[in-house]
Amino acid sequence: MQITRRHFFRVMGVAGASVAVRPPAGHAWQSKAPPDPYGCLVDLTRCVGCRKCEEACAEVNCLPEPERVNCQCTIFEKDRRPDHDAYTVVNRYYTGKVDEFDKPVPTFAKVQCMHCQDPACVSACIVGALTKDETGTVRYDVTKCIGCRYCMVACPFEIPAYEYHDPITPKVMKCTFCYDRISKQGGVPGCATICPTEAITFGRRDTLLEVAKQRLKNNPARYLPHIYGEKEVGGTSWMYLSGVPFEQVNLPALPETPSPKLSETVQHSLFTYLWSPILLFGVLGGLMAWFNKNDNPPDKGGV
Amino acid sequence: MIKKIMVCACLIPFLAGVCAAEVWKAPDQEQARERAKETVPFVKEYKDDCQISRRICLMDAGISLDDVTTVYFLLDSPIIKDREDHYEPVRFAHKRHAALVDDCTQCHHYRPKDENALETTRCSACHQDSFNPEYPERIGLKAAYHQQCMECHQQEAKGPVDCTGCHLKHVPDHKELVKLPDNPDPIQVTKACLECHDTQGEDMLKTAHWLWRGPSPYTTGHRKDILHGKGTTALNNF
Repeated sequence: MQITRRHFFRVMGVAGASVAVRPPAGHAWQSKAPPDPYGCLVDLTRCVGCRKCEEACAEVNCLPEPERVNCQCTIFEKDRRPDHDAYTVVNRYYTGKVDEFDKPVPTFAKVQCMHCQDPACVSACIVGALTKDETGTVRYDVTKCIGCRYCMVACPFEIPAYEYHDPITPKVMKCTFCYDRISKQGGVPGCATICPTEAITFGRRDTLLEVAKQRLKNNPARYLPHIYGEKEVGGTSWMYLSGVPFEQVNLPALPETPSPKLSETVQHSLFTYLWSPILLFGVLGGLMAWFNKNDNPPDKGGV
Repeated sequence: MIKKIMVCACLIPFLAGVCAAEVWKAPDQEQARERAKETVPFVKEYKDDCQISRRICLMDAGISLDDVTTVYFLLDSPIIKDREDHYEPVRFAHKRHAALVDDCTQCHHYRPKDENALETTRCSACHQDSFNPEYPERIGLKAAYHQQCMECHQQEAKGPVDCTGCHLKHVPDHKELVKLPDNPDPIQVTKACLECHDTQGEDMLKTAHWLWRGPSPYTTGHRKDILHGKGTTALNNF
C-alpha cells in the first residue's frame, strides 16, 4: 500500500488526538527540596533595628558599605528593598502597636532572599544558573547566567536584583546565605553572627521549626501563632516570627503550594511523550489536507 | 587660687596619663579585666523556676544586696570575641544595678540544676556560644547581654539603648596626640583639650558643671559665697 502525504497526516492526526484524549502519563510533581537544609529564624520581636546585619552582610560579601551605617535617624523613612548594592535591608514599620504610654512601637523587619525549599527562580532559570544546594542555599552561578531575568519575575518575594548599571558583566544580585561560610563546619552567616540580640537564629531548618514552636508556646502573648515560611510557597529556609500581622511588615500572604508546582506540572504534562507537538502538527496537517481537498485546482489559463 | 586648683584637679589624672612614663593601673579595673577573660564550664541543665519561686529561693539562701561583692564587671568575654570583635567592652556597674533594681532575679533568672552550684551563677555559665545545635533555644552570651540590658532599659525608660551608650569608645593613646610643655598650667591643658574636643566644650557650657550657682561649703575662704560658679568666676574660660 502506498502511503500518500495526505494519508500520512491523517494517521498522525488520529494518533495525536488519541494521545490527547488519554490522560498524560507524566509523573506527579515532586518536590526537589533538600532533606535537611540550614535555615534562619528571624524573630521580629527581638529586632532592634540597629542594621548591623546590613553592615556585616556588606563586609562579608564585599558590597559597598550601607548608607548611614551608624545613624538610624532618617534611613527608615523610606521603604527599602534589597538591590544590587545590598543583599539585605532592614525596614521600620509602624503597625499601630503602642506601648503603655500610647507611644507607637516600631517593628523592624529584615528582608533578604528566603531561600525557598522549592524555589521559583530555580525553576524559571532556563540555563540552570540558579540551583538549590544541599545546605538550603539558592546559589547563583554567574558563568551560566544569560541575563534573561526570568528569576526576577518568578520570585514571589521579588528579591533578585540586577546590575543594570553594568553594561558589560551584569549579575543577578541576591543573598548568598553566606554559602562559603555555612558550608564549612561551624560557619554562620554574617548577619546572624553580628546580630546583637540574636533576632536571627541560625541552624537546621527542622531544629528552628522546633525552636519557633517552643517560643510560640512559651510566649503566646508576644507572637502571632504563625511561623511565616514554614508552609508559605512550600516552605522557605528563612522563617519569621512576629508580633504584628505579617502583611503589615511586607511579608505577603502566599499560598502553601510551591510556586513551581503549577508551572512545572503544566509544562511536564504538555511535553510528556511529546504529545502536544505531535497533536499540534497533526491538527495542522489535517487542516492543511482538508483545505487542499476543498481547494479548486489552480487556474492555469490565466487572463 | 584654691578654686583654680580645684578646677585643674580633675585634669590631674589625665595629665598623669599623658606625662608619666609608667602608666598607673587601677587595681579593680585590672581585676575586672582578668575576670572577664575567664570562662567557666557550660551549664547544661537549669532549674526551670518562675521568678517568684526564684525570689523565695534567694531569700531562703539569705542572699541580699549586701552580698554583692563585685562592684563592676568588664563584659569582655572571649566567648563573644571568638566570633566577632567589633566593639569595645562594656563596663557594667554590677553593684549599682543591683541596688537600683533591688531584685537579683531580674538577671539571675534561673539557676543550674546542680544543687551545689551557686545560686547566682554568672551569665556566661549558661549563655555561651550562639547557635549551639544541641541547645538550640539557649541564646548566646552576646544576645543574652543585649536582650537583658536593652529590654530593661527600654521598659524602665532609663539607661542607654544605643551602641556607644554602653560600649566604651575606642580611645586612641593621647601620648602622641597631645603636645604640652613641662609643668603645664590649667589653662594650657584646657586649651589642648579644646583643640579637638570643641563640641564637648560647647556641651559642657550647658551642663550644671558650668552653670552651677551656690555656696561652696568646702572651699576655704569662699564658704559663704553663693554666686560662685564656673560661669561667673570663669577661671579658664575660652
